[in-house]
Amino acid sequence: MIRLFRKAPDSGRPRRLTASVLRHNPADPASAPHWQDFVVEEAEGMTLFIALNEIRATQDPSLQFDFVCRAGICGSCAMLIDGRPGLACRTLTRDLGERFTLAPLPFFELIGDLSVNTGKWLRGTAERLRTWVHAAGRPDLDALEERMAPELAEAIYELDRCIECGCCVAGCGTAQMRPDFIGAIGLNKIARFRLDPRDTRSDEDFYELIGDDDGVFGCMSLLGCHDVCPKQLPLQTQIAFLRRRMAALGF
Amino acid sequence: MEIIHTDVLVIGGGLAGLRAALAARQRGHEVVVLSLVPAKRSHSAAAQGGMQASLGNSAKGAGDDEDVHFADTVRGSDWGADQEVARMFVHVAPKAVRELAAWGVPWNRVRSGPNDAIIDGRKVSIDEPAAAHGLITARDFGGTRKWRTCYVSDGTGHAMLYVVGDRAVAEGIAVHERMEAVSLIHDGARCHGAIVRRLTDGRLFAYVARATCIATGGFGRIYKVSTNAVINEGIGAAIALDTGVVPLANMEAVQFHPTAIFPAGILVTEGCRGDGGLLRDAAAHRFMPDYEPEKKELASRDVVARRMEAHIRAGHGATSRWGEHLWLDITLLGERHIAGRLREVKEICQHFLGIDPARQWIPVRPAQHYSMGGIRTDALGRAYGLDGLFACGEAACWDLHGFNRLGGNSVAETVVAGMIVGEAIADFCASERGELTVSTALIRAAHDRAAAEFAGLAAGLGAESAAPLLARMQSIMTERVGIVRHGDALQSAVDELQQLILRSRRLGLRSSRPGANPELTAAWRLQKMLKLAQCVAAGALQRTESRGAHYREDYPRRDDAGWLKRTLARWPAADATQPEIGYEALDVRRMELPPGWRGYGARDAIEHPDTAPRQAEIERLRAELAGAGRDALQDALLPFRHRLPPQLRGANARLGDPA
Amino acid sequence: MSSLTEIRDETPPPLTDAAVRAAAPRRNRWPARLDVLQSLSGLFLALFLIAHMGFVSTILISHEAFYAVARFFEAAWLLGKPYPALVSGVVAVVLAVFVLHAWLALRKFPGNLRAYRAFAEHRERLHHGDTSLWWLQLWTGFALFFLTTVHLYGMLTQPALIGPFESADRVWTGNLWPLYLALLFAAEIHGGIGLYRLAVKWGDLAASRARLRRARQAFSAFFIALGLVTLAAYIDLGRAHADRAGERYTPPATTEAR
Repeated sequence: MIRLFRKAPDSGRPRRLTASVLRHNPADPASAPHWQDFVVEEAEGMTLFIALNEIRATQDPSLQFDFVCRAGICGSCAMLIDGRPGLACRTLTRDLGERFTLAPLPFFELIGDLSVNTGKWLRGTAERLRTWVHAAGRPDLDALEERMAPELAEAIYELDRCIECGCCVAGCGTAQMRPDFIGAIGLNKIARFRLDPRDTRSDEDFYELIGDDDGVFGCMSLLGCHDVCPKQLPLQTQIAFLRRRMAALGF
Repeated sequence: MEIIHTDVLVIGGGLAGLRAALAARQRGHEVVVLSLVPAKRSHSAAAQGGMQASLGNSAKGAGDDEDVHFADTVRGSDWGADQEVARMFVHVAPKAVRELAAWGVPWNRVRSGPNDAIIDGRKVSIDEPAAAHGLITARDFGGTRKWRTCYVSDGTGHAMLYVVGDRAVAEGIAVHERMEAVSLIHDGARCHGAIVRRLTDGRLFAYVARATCIATGGFGRIYKVSTNAVINEGIGAAIALDTGVVPLANMEAVQFHPTAIFPAGILVTEGCRGDGGLLRDAAAHRFMPDYEPEKKELASRDVVARRMEAHIRAGHGATSRWGEHLWLDITLLGERHIAGRLREVKEICQHFLGIDPARQWIPVRPAQHYSMGGIRTDALGRAYGLDGLFACGEAACWDLHGFNRLGGNSVAETVVAGMIVGEAIADFCASERGELTVSTALIRAAHDRAAAEFAGLAAGLGAESAAPLLARMQSIMTERVGIVRHGDALQSAVDELQQLILRSRRLGLRSSRPGANPELTAAWRLQKMLKLAQCVAAGALQRTESRGAHYREDYPRRDDAGWLKRTLARWPAADATQPEIGYEALDVRRMELPPGWRGYGARDAIEHPDTAPRQAEIERLRAELAGAGRDALQDALLPFRHRLPPQLRGANARLGDPA
Repeated sequence: MSSLTEIRDETPPPLTDAAVRAAAPRRNRWPARLDVLQSLSGLFLALFLIAHMGFVSTILISHEAFYAVARFFEAAWLLGKPYPALVSGVVAVVLAVFVLHAWLALRKFPGNLRAYRAFAEHRERLHHGDTSLWWLQLWTGFALFFLTTVHLYGMLTQPALIGPFESADRVWTGNLWPLYLALLFAAEIHGGIGLYRLAVKWGDLAASRARLRRARQAFSAFFIALGLVTLAAYIDLGRAHADRAGERYTPPATTEAR
């Protein structure tokens, strides 16, 4: 959620923050999941990106986490912040309490500490859902491009904005119970390609991909995805839409 | 030792690497892409504002073509660019946009009828013709004479990377994630692949390939304040440098982006100014027209960034607790425009600054943004020094950008270079020279050397630790090898970097654990980054002129007579602390556009003796071939089509073409 | 497995459309049908629940009113004489839909302890309204499976024993009021959440979710309140009638010819 009206910084001494981090190193047979507290002094404008890097630089060089763009664009740094999936890079510590917890995203394979293997799952999902425009033949690169209504292009981009951070899947109750569930990431992608006139696939084809209980019919509409999505994608609308289209094919 | 064989090894999973991989794959070669992170998380995703291609669909792009794009690019480069490469690039860029459109990139489209826009601070209405409705539109960017930057809101790189990334999945290209190439396997003449470290557990693998392509992006992280992602540490360029035979070119040509939010250094797109945003100082004064009456906020990045720094030095900066900055004002664009076309900017402002850019000004200051320099290649992406080694994208010095790159030309370069270099890789693999004749002893030696390097670091008991050395290097680079440079500061930077290089050989690690070891990884990378930093600093020290983004206070004029040449830096030996610097001249007699005034910025260049004769020759050719058609003239001035793969040679259709 | 083969495994085979089509036969349509059926059966039961509450709460108007409603379903007005079996028929239909709905919903329940734990932990840490609601929906649904079955079995086998005294006796003297009390809460909460879920599952209402949530709360609150008053009325009547338990109700001025 966007918070425009933030808590005013307290005057005087900076806060001493305690980050409680769920640590585990699967590569080490002796390691068991445990919480470890790190204390850092809060600085003005501090994000979890800054705080975690400071912890690694000054307290524990072995702490594992993933950041890439540190600007909320690449989707690498999703983790559970006080239990809720979110992008760590753009979470300001002033929006958190003096004590907060950081844990890796559930559902995905744990690499270590706060680092999870979203890439492997996403590659599998892309292959499973065949998330590319299916068109016949190669485009003629010398000719004028196909026209598209400006509104349609914008509508496609609206769904194309997904950064595959995994927050929606981590926020999804169904996915916690069904490891094969395609999640909002997958369903949103199908909605995106369904909207795209360049993709020649029909609803029948999409039914082949998502017409079961690991696909759209597995969704129980708990809307965790919709509520935690850092890009505010219209996931509820899209999943309901797909459900209507796919359900219609059953009759 | 585990060996993985493939035809083509692409190091780097961003747009350039993926597009090159696709080209090679489509020619039937087996391709493996290595990526530090899942490919779609690459820094290409952060390109916001757009990609230049002279489609000329929109009213403000009417009349645009390859010639205008070419001239803008060469002027932007301050004549540092390789003009043959620039020609190849501007010719293929429209094809790249159209290919991406067919693959699914939701480019913003022309809406016929009146469209509101802000130009030079005033609200205007642009009437788009009905004939262009639904074609790909473009926005204004710095240093261009036409509105040429095709875009997808301000998530252009994201949309492109996802389409190309998914295309790689469709073609069955393997992407090995969380893999870092740590050295090239080579015998001093031929590259045979790379030794690769798996970041999740530190294991080493030998990837043996007929062709190896480095597409690892830039090295912005050697600076303290950079818009670059944290993975942009230049390791790809560094392992090429480590071979001792592959030169890095123009490393001192480092671009600073005018509008990074202050102090975090996160980019807000040039599209903000292209769409009509203004720069203001502490007194709310719009200062750019005072310095640059022609292009104002939309001069090239090097010029705007330099003017901004000068304006701050002159005491006009706004002050905050972190220091001085200026303001980017996009409030005049209106809430609707910002929510639609600048939504990433809006999100970034909300999350990192807690402000609404539709109502408040954005605090900005120039920050390191792009590396024009990199692995020196020829026009087909073949690296100097090693057969079978290629490079493309920001990691390469293909030399499209010279000493300053235009906004929107780099994300375009990634795909265009990928298309061209990927074909060259395929050609190489199909040729006799592409056959692999590597000995296992050579692979073993490379592997053992890398293993020893990591083992030595892990066992190091030295007193130095990596984090403070890294921070020191970054400070030196930002403070002394930044936007405004001076011989004394550069000399002290070179000296201190030498000390840091020596200290970095006495590291001691605090942790040792099975699995991923971030501390070991960071320590290893530090040594590589220091070498790159030294190449930048040494190159900047020796270049006693100002050109593009390289600005010397003590040598403020562009010196075509003395310095119309490309810096080539080689690392002579493992224990060296400085690169060997050499040069290759740019041949004015082969230029289609000889050096002159850029149309903005300073006008006091020292002329090259060949400039006037070449200019005269060009005028003669133009007169002689006046009726012979554009292609004939082009072939006389600067032939380039023969360098392109056959399928990329065709003329680009435009709206107004005669049927 | 060596790490080399692990790396090799990441190399996927080329994905041609033809290969995919050949590998996967046309998917059957039952998942779609079952999903629609789950929602439709739930909608039916929720509507029935509303109507049912309407019928039983007529006791608040008068004994005669409830009596009239009960007899209405025996269709004497149509067929000349009352057929309590008709009530059994209605109950049988409701029971069938109920069992169907339960079976369809069960597919969504955690299938094993691992899944159960995973969801429980997820709910615990997420603090997310709609996720917690599902947990409530699951447990109320689970309870309803037993509570409703007992109730429906009674209605199925003794359809004639619906009337002011008969029902009140069952509630009080028959000691079923705790069951009805539990049933009331479980059914109205489950039904309210279910209707809300139907809306977000099928509708296009991301923007109006807050309003929808308030509607759900109002629904449950209203029907629980109405149910409590109604149940109290039956308890009251049952206590007053306890010494004459078993006596059939006859309306005071009946003109009905038996």
